[in-house]
Amino acid sequence: MSTVAPSVGNAAGASGPGSGSSGSGSGSSGAGDSPDGSGRNTGATGRSTFGSVIARVPRAVWPLVAFLVLFGIGGIIRPNLITVDALIGTATFAIILAIASFGQTIAVIQAGIDLSVPNTIGFSALAFLTLVGPLGPFGAFVAALLAGAVIGFLNGIVIAKLGLTPIVTTIAMNGLLFGVILLAFNFSELTVTPDFVIAMTSAKISVLGLSMPAVLPLGLGLMLVLQLVLSFTGWGRSLFVVGSAAETARLAGLPVDRIRVAGYMLSGGLAAFAGIVIVGYYQQASATMGASYLLSSVAAVVVGGASIFGGRGSVVGTVGGALVLAQVSTLVAVLNLGANIQQLIYGVIILLVISLYGRRRA
Amino acid sequence: MSAVSPSTAPAWSRWWNASGVTRLRREGAVAPVLAFVVFFVVYVIINPALLTRFQLQTAANLVVPLVLVALAQLVIVLVGGIDISIGAIMSLANVVFAVQLETMPVPVAILLSLGVGLGCGLFNGFLVAYGGLPAIAVTLASAFIFGSLAREVLDAPGGGVTKEIYLATSGELLPYLPVSLVWLAVIAVLLWLLLQRTSLGRHIYGVGSNMESVRAAGLNAKLTKLLAFGLAGVLTSLGAMMLASSTVTGDPRSGDPYLLSSIAAVALAGAVFTGGRGSIIGTILAACTLGLIGNLLFFARVNSYWQYVISALIIVAVVGIPVVWRKVAFRVKGNRS
Repeated sequence: MSTVAPSVGNAAGASGPGSGSSGSGSGSSGAGDSPDGSGRNTGATGRSTFGSVIARVPRAVWPLVAFLVLFGIGGIIRPNLITVDALIGTATFAIILAIASFGQTIAVIQAGIDLSVPNTIGFSALAFLTLVGPLGPFGAFVAALLAGAVIGFLNGIVIAKLGLTPIVTTIAMNGLLFGVILLAFNFSELTVTPDFVIAMTSAKISVLGLSMPAVLPLGLGLMLVLQLVLSFTGWGRSLFVVGSAAETARLAGLPVDRIRVAGYMLSGGLAAFAGIVIVGYYQQASATMGASYLLSSVAAVVVGGASIFGGRGSVVGTVGGALVLAQVSTLVAVLNLGANIQQLIYGVIILLVISLYGRRRA
Repeated sequence: MSAVSPSTAPAWSRWWNASGVTRLRREGAVAPVLAFVVFFVVYVIINPALLTRFQLQTAANLVVPLVLVALAQLVIVLVGGIDISIGAIMSLANVVFAVQLETMPVPVAILLSLGVGLGCGLFNGFLVAYGGLPAIAVTLASAFIFGSLAREVLDAPGGGVTKEIYLATSGELLPYLPVSLVWLAVIAVLLWLLLQRTSLGRHIYGVGSNMESVRAAGLNAKLTKLLAFGLAGVLTSLGAMMLASSTVTGDPRSGDPYLLSSIAAVALAGAVFTGGRGSIIGTILAACTLGLIGNLLFFARVNSYWQYVISALIIVAVVGIPVVWRKVAFRVKGNRS
C-alpha cells in the first residue's frame, strides 16, 4: 500500500546508508509477507533490530544504493571513472530513459501497463516537429503534449469503461499509432529541431559550477514534481489504492474509472514529453524512434522497485532503476564487452530484482 | 451443452447448440471465426487470384510462422501467464537453426533448434512455476537474455538455409497444396489432440481457470505450468524454423515483430488473459486475419500502412463488442426484473 517495502532480508544492501531518513509511509511492522504458505519466506523469519530498520528504508532507496555500488565497482576497475564528468555522462543517459519511463511508472502503479509508450514517443515527436511551422514552437509543444494526453485518454476509456485488459488495449493503440505515423508524416521535411527544445535538452548549462546538459536538471525537476503529486495529492494516493485493490476502492466510493483514465492521460502526456525531449537531445527523428523503449521502460520501472501487479512504485525509484541500467552500460562500454552483453546483464539484473521482491502478494 | 435441444427446435437453434459450436462459443472463438470469414470473402472478391497456387503459397508462407507463435502464446495464456520473451526465443531458435545448417545435417539442426526453444520455455516455466515469480516480469528479463544470446550466435542475417529446405517447408513439394499449410495442419491437429484428449491438456485448461481447485484435486499444478511453458517454447521454435525456411535466411532480429502480434492474435481469438479460456482454431484464424491484412490492402490498392490502423480497430472491435454486448444485455435484463 505504501512505498515502504517489507523487504526480504536484502543481502545486496548490507552496507546501507543511515537508517531510513524519510520513512514516509506507515511501515507495515507485521510479520513480513502475508501467510502465503509453501515456505517461501526464507530470510525474513527472526528479524533482528537491524532487519526491522532495513525494512523501513523506502524501496526507492535500494536502486540508488545499487547504483552507488556499481559506480564504486567502476572506480575499482578504472579509477578515472570516479569523476564528476563520468557521473554526469551516465546520469544524462539515465535521465532520458527515466523520462521515457515516468509514464510507464504511473501506468504500472495503477495495476496497468502501457505498451503504447514507443509509438506515443514517436508520434508526439513527429507531430511536434511538423507543427512547429504552422503553430510556432510553443504551440507545437502544447499540441504534442495534448496529443499524448488524448492517446492516454483513449487507452484509459477503453480499459476502464470497456474493460479490455491494459496489455491488449495498449498493444492495439501502439499498432494504430504506428500506422498513423507512417501515413501522416512526411519524414524528409522533419530535420530542423527548434532552438528552445535544444536549449531545454542538449544545451550545456552550468549548475553549481558544473557543466551538464540541460536535460539533467529538467528530468530531476520533473521527477520531483511527479513524486510530490504521487505522494501528497489525493489523486496521487488514490492511484496506489486503485492499483492495489480496485474493487475495495470502488466499494469505498472512489471514482475508480475516473482515476484510471486520468492516470493513463498522465502516462500518455509524459510519454509525449519524452518524445520531445528525445528529439531535442538526439536531434533526429524516425518512424521507429521509440522502439527501444518498449522493454527498457518496463525494465527501468521494475528495477526501480515497482510491483508489476500495481499498488507500489515511485518515480524516484524509476530514476534509480534507470541509473542502474545506465551505469551497467557504462561499465560494459569501459570493459569493451559489446552491446549484446549489456542486454544480457540487463536481463540478469531484472531477474535478481524480481526474485528479491517481485513475488505476488497473496 | 447445458440446454439439450428437443428435436422440434428450429434448425438454427439445433445448430447453435451443437457440441462443436458450443465449444467455439464457450472458448470465445465465434467472433474471430466470423471475422475471418468476412475477411476471407472480402479478400477473394477483391483479389480472386488469391486462390491460385502461387498467391496462396505466398500468403501461407507469410502467416504460418505467426500462427505457430500465436499458438505458443495461447498455451501460455491458457495457464494464466504471458510471454514477453516469445520474440526473443523465436530469434534464438531461428539463428540456431540457420547456423547449425552450415555444418550439421538437417535433422540435427532441427533437433537443436527445438531443444533451444524447449530450453528457453523451461527456463521461463521453472522460474514462474517453482520460483513463484510473475510471468510478465520473468519473461521481460529473459527477453533481454535470449535476445542477446541470439545476436551472439549470429550477428547479422545469414546462415546456411538451403533451397531444398525452402522447397520442403514452404515451396512446391506437393501438387496442389502449399506445403507450409500441411505442416501447420499437422502441428495444429497434434496440439489439438494434446490439449483436448490428454490429461496434460485438461490440466493446462484447469490450471488457468482455477488454480486452487486443481491443487485441491491433487493435480500437480506447478509441473503443468512448467510443461505448458516448455510446449510453448517448442511451438515457438517450429514457427522460427518455418520463418527461417521461407525467407531462406537466419536473422537475429527476425522474432521481434512477433512479440506484439502474437499477443494481438491471442487477444483477437477471444482468449481470456487470466487463463483457462482460448481456442486453437480461433487463434489460427485470428493470426491469419491479422497476418493477411497488409496483403489485402495491397491488392485493394490502398496504402498498406493502413494495415496497422485496421488491425488495431479489428482487435478493439472484435474483443470489445462482446463486452459491450454483455454490459448492455445485463442492464436491459436488470431493468426488466
